[in-house]
Amino acid sequence: MSDNIIGAAKPRIDGPLKLTGLAKYSSDNLLDDMVYAYGVFSSIASGEVTNIDLSVAQQSPGVIDIFHHDHFPQLFRTPSSMEQENKVDEERLPFEDNQVHYAGQFVALVVADSFENARAAAYKVKVDYKTSPVLANLAQAVKVNGTQLHQDSRNSRGDPEPAFQSAQHKIDFTYVTPVETHNPMEMHATVAAWSGDKLTMYDTTQGVVNARNVYAKVFGLSPDRVEVITPFLGSGFGSKLWPWPHAIAAAAAAREVGRPVQLVVPRQEMFTTTGHRPETSQRLRLATDDDGRLVSLRHESISTTSTIDQGNNPYVESCGKMTQGLYSCENLLVTHSTTGTNRGTPTSMRAPGAAPGLFALESAMDEMAIEAGLDPLEFRRRNYADSDESKGLPWSSNKLREAYDQAAEKFGWSKRNSEIGSMRDGNEIVGWGMATCNWEAIRRPCDARVSLRADGTAYASCATQDIGTGTYTIVAQAVSQVTGLPLEKIEVELGDSSYPSGPISGGSWATATALPAVAAAARKALEELKSYAVSERGAFVGAKADDLSIENGQLKSADGKTVAFAEVLKQRKLASADGEAHTGGAPTDQYAFRSFGAHFVEVRWDQGISNLRVSRVVSAIDVGRAVNTLTSRNQVEGAIVMGVGMALFEQTEYDHRNGRPVNNNYAEYLVPVHADQPEVDVILLDYPDYKFNEFGARGIGEIGITGLAAAVANAVYHATGKRIRELPITMDKLMDDVPQAQQA
Amino acid sequence: MADKDDKRPDHDDQGKGRARGVEIHDARAPSRRNFLKSVGATSLAAATAPAWARVGYVNHDEQEPQDKRADEGEAPAKGTQRITLNVNGQAHTLDVTPNMVLLDVLRHQLALTGTKKGCDIGQCGACTVHVNGVSINSCLSLAVMHDGDEVTTVEGLGQNGKLHPIQQAFLDHDAYQCGYCTPGQMMSAVAILNDAEVASDDAAVREAMSGNICRCGAYKNILSAIQTARKNV
Ligand code: FES
Ligand code: FES
Repeated sequence: MSDNIIGAAKPRIDGPLKLTGLAKYSSDNLLDDMVYAYGVFSSIASGEVTNIDLSVAQQSPGVIDIFHHDHFPQLFRTPSSMEQENKVDEERLPFEDNQVHYAGQFVALVVADSFENARAAAYKVKVDYKTSPVLANLAQAVKVNGTQLHQDSRNSRGDPEPAFQSAQHKIDFTYVTPVETHNPMEMHATVAAWSGDKLTMYDTTQGVVNARNVYAKVFGLSPDRVEVITPFLGSGFGSKLWPWPHAIAAAAAAREVGRPVQLVVPRQEMFTTTGHRPETSQRLRLATDDDGRLVSLRHESISTTSTIDQGNNPYVESCGKMTQGLYSCENLLVTHSTTGTNRGTPTSMRAPGAAPGLFALESAMDEMAIEAGLDPLEFRRRNYADSDESKGLPWSSNKLREAYDQAAEKFGWSKRNSEIGSMRDGNEIVGWGMATCNWEAIRRPCDARVSLRADGTAYASCATQDIGTGTYTIVAQAVSQVTGLPLEKIEVELGDSSYPSGPISGGSWATATALPAVAAAARKALEELKSYAVSERGAFVGAKADDLSIENGQLKSADGKTVAFAEVLKQRKLASADGEAHTGGAPTDQYAFRSFGAHFVEVRWDQGISNLRVSRVVSAIDVGRAVNTLTSRNQVEGAIVMGVGMALFEQTEYDHRNGRPVNNNYAEYLVPVHADQPEVDVILLDYPDYKFNEFGARGIGEIGITGLAAAVANAVYHATGKRIRELPITMDKLMDDVPQAQQA
Repeated sequence: MADKDDKRPDHDDQGKGRARGVEIHDARAPSRRNFLKSVGATSLAAATAPAWARVGYVNHDEQEPQDKRADEGEAPAKGTQRITLNVNGQAHTLDVTPNMVLLDVLRHQLALTGTKKGCDIGQCGACTVHVNGVSINSCLSLAVMHDGDEVTTVEGLGQNGKLHPIQQAFLDHDAYQCGYCTPGQMMSAVAILNDAEVASDDAAVREAMSGNICRCGAYKNILSAIQTARKNV
């Protein structure tokens, strides 16, 4: 066995395909006889379609068919169950009726012989609407409809109100985060092809198994008649977890026209019909005693959902999920409420709940520390939680204090002058802030298959995906660890629903879930190989299988004889030794599993030209074992970049009069670019969490974004004396006497 | 290319689903190329590109396929214009409509899907290719403007089965995650490395690369990769 392959820094095994343009993403599939679909999207946010005039569009060159609510096949809804793995966020089917719930909703779909012709014809479809009053944002929706409290995610202990009233130091503030749009680089796309009653979907999904089950339900098919294929995904950040209407529309259209259909959602409509992180408003009430210990902690949040799913089974942004266990506090209340707006249905976006939630909590912790006269880092140390008080369980592992130590040391926190605006460098005021990061670790059941092949290579497959996180490579590392074969001799296939059932790529689950199944399958394949070896005509005939060991891709007997895997198979004229395994989820009744970390951030504020930037980030992250330190570090660095975007730039803005998104493109919805990149230093603590799985890995995709925006806001306060409780921290909010736009 | 073209739907210009054709003609009889050049259309991209974006290398082999002669007398389909694109050293003669964009022609007609579409309106850089040695956003450029032009895409970066130094550096530095922005990042990087007007310090490279968004946020590693490749280009 090779021990050091787990935790090594290995370049991606799928790298060459991505670097030469050969990696096939969904819209790269050009099938025989394929035609193109282009959507017509609602220009109103609430109301109904009264008429669709196709007279001009139908005459447009190359048009094959135009679908809309009066011309679309009857389909079925999916039950949308997480447990059954057939979940969607927007349960309403495309073209189900003439109702319009949000701007950007599909109202028609043109199919034509070329992309150009489909687009040109779509522009010629004339739609008449009757508009209804619009709920354009959280404030409007609460005013009209109030909120719905979600009891199942309520968490409380002790008696927070009296504890708050009698405490020495207290704060009570509301923090607001805007709609954010995932904006993965690859636009959502589907190539749908039918062969008889079998449906093949080249689909942009973070979950081929869930997507397969959804399409089976929607078209009334047995799941084995549907295959979803996603070998490469131009990332998703949550927006591609659950299927959206466009994919269903493409599949239905393909069946109707009898030809494969390619549909790409234009960038503009990725702001409307493929999910977003909802707007939140979060009230934080904290109180401490004289020693700076939290005696009362309340985190009550409202998030927006869509009018379609409000009252049904709405998406809840679980802002307080981390709050309930991150710090020690006897008296606590966490609640979540929603209110429906005329926006598309929201969904999980990287670190759902925790990203906006820890912006609020970790900003409030900073304010509380200042109120109590304590250094923000020291304040957090005093409130370290020895166990998960929300579950009454010990942590499987919690190295938060070491994360604080290492990051603070590397950042130079001890040199911080706590006085506001006191640290200057030329024209710039330097601000230093910090925050804790936190994410729950989850491991689900999983299947995988591994074969040892007669050509000396190994093969592994699992119906999970590599969305850029490096899953191909770590699966190969797991096979290598068990078999001793080098990575070059291991082929991995992912991203096809016909492979053994694997996890979604989301929630930082995939690594912790898939790797144990892959390792178990590899061990089974080895057992089978050994049984061949000791059988009649085998390479070790007469030996006991249990006495054979594995060394560098060879079987070795007690007396030191070694035979390569390939030889063992050849001797028996066999193609392969195969193993298939099922592994379960992590037991949740003995330990609480979470990852921890700390961000330390430096901002620079040039008051003269009103310029704010994040200049330096030092983060220490405890995710158990990082299986591949090259790709893991990259994940955290990327999450930090997205956190900088969340802190300074990102905000989908809706016209408060009509509910239409006004900055639905990359030029006006700002995301960080190369020039915004701060100096970033990521420390990966290395404490394998073997209570969680045999690799000790808890997953790493989300945690890096949690807390980052708060660390920036706290640094901004240190530099400017301005406490920004409403993201993003745009420069107008830092200037004196600039009236803030009021939301009507 | 013939095998890839076979994947395209079979079109004629009659009726539904039949408006577009893909035809490969002998590139040595490019009468229309000169016509378009004379009206200045092809040089538009080069003329408007900033000086820093000019690329000093050309990696095309000039061989033209012998087996792709089409009937020279055949007229282009109605509503289309015949152009020749020299892509990664291969000449392709195509009939394109005026609303066909270079990016879509590369992807849909030539099946060169390595070049990506991230926005289709010039805001993300995923579609960056080199035209006559200049890096451009291919989503912002009409195909008819490129008659006779030399186009290099990510598929043409490597030579003889070997990775180009920028590709190798991206691999070594893990300068990507999902890989979707990567072809565009590399095409811009090569352009920048070949441009004497872009200084070699980190800040200058970051500035020059800022038209290429990486939503995965692999900027730190992309910068390291470019600075490493600098030594080998
Ligand atoms: S696709 Fe051309 S710049 Fe985005
Ligand atoms: S690698 Fe995913 S967008 Fe750059």
